[in-house]
Amino acid sequence: MRKAAKRTKCFLRRFWHGLREWCGDAAYESYLRSKARRIGSCHTLSQAEFYVDQLNRRYSRPNRCC
Amino acid sequence: MKRVLKFVVWLAVALLGAGALGAIAIHRGEPLNAMWFVVAALCCYLVAFRLYSAFVAAKVLALDDTRATPAERHDDGRDFVPTNKWVLFGHHFAAIAGPGPLVGPTLAAQFGYLPGTLWLIVGAAFGGCVQDFVILFCSIRRDGKSLGQMAREEVSKRGGFIAQLAVLAIIIILLGVIALVVVNALKASPWATFTISMTLPIALLLGVYLRFLRPGRVVEASVIGLAFVLFVVVAGRWVAESPSWAHVFTLGGVSLAIAIIIYGYIASVLPVWLLLAPRDYLIAFIKAGAIFSLAAGILFVRPDVLMPPLTRFVDGTGPVFAGKIFPFCFITIACGAISGFHSLISSGTTPKMILRESQARFIGYGAMLLESFVGVMAMVAACAMTPGVYFAINSPAGIVGSTPDAVAAMTTSWGYPLAGQTMVDMAHAVGEQTLLNRTGGAPSLAVGMAQIFSSTIGGGRLLGIWYHFAIMFEALFVLTVLDAGTRVGRFMIHEMGGRLWKPLARTNWLPAVLLCSAVIVGSWGYFLYQGVIDPLGGINSLWPLFGIANQLLAAVALVVATTILMKMGRLQWIWVTVVPMVVLIVITLTSSYQKIFSPNPRIGFLSNANDLATQIANGVIPAAKVADTHRLMFNLRLDAVVTSILVLMIVLLIVEALGQWYGILSRRSEAVLHESPYIATRWAPDFSGAGHSAVVGDAVGDD
Repeated sequence: MRKAAKRTKCFLRRFWHGLREWCGDAAYESYLRSKARRIGSCHTLSQAEFYVDQLNRRYSRPNRCC
Repeated sequence: MKRVLKFVVWLAVALLGAGALGAIAIHRGEPLNAMWFVVAALCCYLVAFRLYSAFVAAKVLALDDTRATPAERHDDGRDFVPTNKWVLFGHHFAAIAGPGPLVGPTLAAQFGYLPGTLWLIVGAAFGGCVQDFVILFCSIRRDGKSLGQMAREEVSKRGGFIAQLAVLAIIIILLGVIALVVVNALKASPWATFTISMTLPIALLLGVYLRFLRPGRVVEASVIGLAFVLFVVVAGRWVAESPSWAHVFTLGGVSLAIAIIIYGYIASVLPVWLLLAPRDYLIAFIKAGAIFSLAAGILFVRPDVLMPPLTRFVDGTGPVFAGKIFPFCFITIACGAISGFHSLISSGTTPKMILRESQARFIGYGAMLLESFVGVMAMVAACAMTPGVYFAINSPAGIVGSTPDAVAAMTTSWGYPLAGQTMVDMAHAVGEQTLLNRTGGAPSLAVGMAQIFSSTIGGGRLLGIWYHFAIMFEALFVLTVLDAGTRVGRFMIHEMGGRLWKPLARTNWLPAVLLCSAVIVGSWGYFLYQGVIDPLGGINSLWPLFGIANQLLAAVALVVATTILMKMGRLQWIWVTVVPMVVLIVITLTSSYQKIFSPNPRIGFLSNANDLATQIANGVIPAAKVADTHRLMFNLRLDAVVTSILVLMIVLLIVEALGQWYGILSRRSEAVLHESPYIATRWAPDFSGAGHSAVVGDAVGDD
């Protein structure tokens, strides 16, 4: 029973992480991780700056099909 | 033992699929249950994925997991982001699944369920999935380059320019056509018009929330937005029932077209965070939920398919659109079987986020299979309706008349019995003034979806709510494509205009923004207006034009893919892309020829224009309508010119590619591949992306 609960919890946690990644909720966190990997890279964007920057990039090329 | 068991299981799946497909194909007489379609589609997809995609991955592309992908090499947290394959599958599917796989099969149901279903399954397995998969692979090997860039490098500079022009052409035609679908869905419907108009202030509210209050918190904003949207769907009934408010929101075709054109312009000019992105977030969860619910509803209700396998309209006299099965069924269903637009997504964001090459098979091939399944579900929803009802909704007034009795008499004369009162009752049940002559596919799909949903939850009492939920879903879906497409088109105009006058290339210079937005919105707005004033409903001429443009882009993508495979030395496997390419070229050229030159005025643009000219000369057209008729004639001739330009582009590209291929095969020119150099991956073979995030996530205080 405890094992099943643990598995369910693990599944839900993974699902939640996946959902946040899918809809862009976790994009800023990924960006910070990437920045941390690239030592010495330039200015880190704030969350608000990053949000607008992401949207401008995403909507300047085909991102939705017919 | 395990191998034998596997073999037996796959053999059983293959036999089950073949049996179900056979039943669909040869069944006559009694209505067929929808489960046959589900079983046939799922088994064929499983076999195609297990066998054909594995063959393409191993033999044709020789995917190499030791090679670092662009996401690993350029990981910048912005464009190049290593992403878990399931998440990326969701991203890719959300990007390729637009309203096309819903609307196309609904329109093609006029031929009966058989041709469209077969094309959806076979076309996807051997055409659409292959195109998406191969282009994704090619782009991964080229640092995520776009289709246009690959065409320029691998085929020729002119090839790249043609691809760019083809993309712009398809965007303009696509936006005009899908806007027409929305106009026809909202026409004379205060409930639907209120619901959709209210999504504008909701989107603006979310935009401000996401920009200033809780930057980037998409999940919570989407949940808030979803609650508002569901509320306005319900509130729409109160508006429709209030005589004064219903009057305000009851709009005709031209007024709706003007409103959508103004909306498109504003969405293109405003900052993307204010309107465009939040509207996209609004639809993301609704889209996933509605598609899943439709599939679940069909499995739960298991409706009978009432449409015959082949209708009398296979002879080309269909009321929804004119033209025979070949080639018109194959251009009407583009997305769902094969869609050139997908190649833009496969060479856009996805290749920059993929972890390893082998995942291209699951994401490129697999996501397209799922889209094809959505198309089959739409076909089932359309064909589960009584055929008479289907034709009454989807036929223009110019063909079936505009009163319930006239429409019923006409559909009954075709052999699809219908009582006028049935349409009156049905319109009343879904909360509409009328369901007659609602061309474009969206209203009939909404009726089909509402019937399936209400059989699952709520019964007849909720039919109106479900119908307007489905209309809201379709219209929001389309408007999301419309505003995102307008912005992309605007950027392309900036780029092209910048070659003529440099300041035009500046995407943040207000005069350039206003001018380029006006050019793109004016272009698709013209097609929209043309469709709205067309007495045959617009879909008859514009949807085939869109299908031709989309399939032409698919042919462009397959020409590029074939050239790359040839340069890679995979000559023995080149038929994998050559066969669908040849099929598409034959389809697009035949349909283009028929749309331009057919002597049947309902098919041929020129003969229709000439027919109208003769009617004016003979005094058949009343003097008050002569000016409008001249405008119609101009539009028809314009459509003929646009179709000719599309054909010219594909012919030019083929000539360019043939030159390349001849050079390579005769060894007169060297086969130079423009792949990025090989760099070995540093990720472990079982790396799934999750550990990558968590390890570094700890460093930045995540979790």
